Amino acid sequence: MEIDTVKERAGPREFSAADEMPLEYREAATRMIEFHANSEIMGAYLERPFIREAPSIDRKLAYSAKVQDEIGHGQLLYRAAESLGVKTREEMLDDLANGKGKFLNCFHYPMKSWPETAMIAFFVDGAAMRRQATLRRTSWEPYAHAMDKVCFEEGFHVKHGESILAELMTGSKKEQEMTQEVFEMWWPRIIQFFGPTDDKSTHHDFSADVGLKTQSNDDLRNLFLREYIPKAEKYGLEIPDEPRIRQRDDGTYEVEEGDLDWDEFFTIAKNEYEPGLGQINGRKEAQKAVQWVRDTLEWENAPEGAAKPQAAD
Amino acid sequence: MIWEVFRQEQRGDYHTHCGNVHAPDREMAKQFAAIQHARRKPTHSIWVVPKDEIGELDAEETSFGGVTDKSYRWAPTYKSDLDHASEVIDSEGQQAEAEKQRGDA
Repeated sequence: MEIDTVKERAGPREFSAADEMPLEYREAATRMIEFHANSEIMGAYLERPFIREAPSIDRKLAYSAKVQDEIGHGQLLYRAAESLGVKTREEMLDDLANGKGKFLNCFHYPMKSWPETAMIAFFVDGAAMRRQATLRRTSWEPYAHAMDKVCFEEGFHVKHGESILAELMTGSKKEQEMTQEVFEMWWPRIIQFFGPTDDKSTHHDFSADVGLKTQSNDDLRNLFLREYIPKAEKYGLEIPDEPRIRQRDDGTYEVEEGDLDWDEFFTIAKNEYEPGLGQINGRKEAQKAVQWVRDTLEWENAPEGAAKPQAAD
Repeated sequence: MIWEVFRQEQRGDYHTHCGNVHAPDREMAKQFAAIQHARRKPTHSIWVVPKDEIGELDAEETSFGGVTDKSYRWAPTYKSDLDHASEVIDSEGQQAEAEKQRGDA
């Protein structure tokens, strides 16, 4: 298919493996879905320690379920990415392990205390869900189908995150203070979740033209802020003074971009941020540690010389 | 040889199982499936799959989703007074529906 035809036909779930898609489309879609898949895996690794550190049995169960879900989302997405024929699942997992695979800014930061879990599970997952809901209308059908299942499961994650936040913000004064403190640390990172503004976004135009992306970074960020600023305030969180955010007359928000640390963001985007390397290498080590499990699996039907199976975790 | 048939109504939909056909090979299976299953109902695409290639696991052999109470993994468990984002409400609605179908609610 010619690229002009792709742009002309672009619409929700328009293209599938049955269509001959141009390389430019397949590469753009692979980059986007691989990034998404990697983020699911790295997010799961960030939260995994809190299965052990959860303060109650209910939270422990919920966290083990959530981490399991996220790893599953990664698996679904690697399948959707693989269906484009640009990279194999094994190549994507190897790239993630060796520091070449890109993933969401928020998951490059270490998470140390329990109150931080609410930042990820309520705000970051809330932001992710907002974005994922729009991706159910992406033009690559396998990606849209993966989003159907992800969106089905994700409501639990956000509501569980909210439940943690509610518990902390109605808890002791100390708990409330700790929560406010981590909120101030995470808030700018959460705003950066949506990436640079449209005028600075490298890949937006093409992805939008071919229907891969259905909403721009700015729109998504706006929708997120409109939805989640009041929720944060309802739980008694104070929105930090910086970045300065001003509500326009039409209800949308203007964020003072200069108040956000874009140097750090782009360092992260290149996988060069020091704490983020810790996250990447941590997963690599964990994967090595369970190599013996993969080795014990017998793959009877694998053809001679076929790629060795590799689990995402 | 039996071939299971999956029909997709519209571009972008899921291929869902709709029946099977007898056919000596894949080409004939496609032709028969097109005639038997895609002639009257709106169809964008069909898949044919050799029956022998399908693995099945049913509820008699396993307990899907386990046997213990897993309410902790459902959104409706977490009560709140908040007006949620529409995508969270959608997800919760779908989960409530699935819970009902499983007989858990």
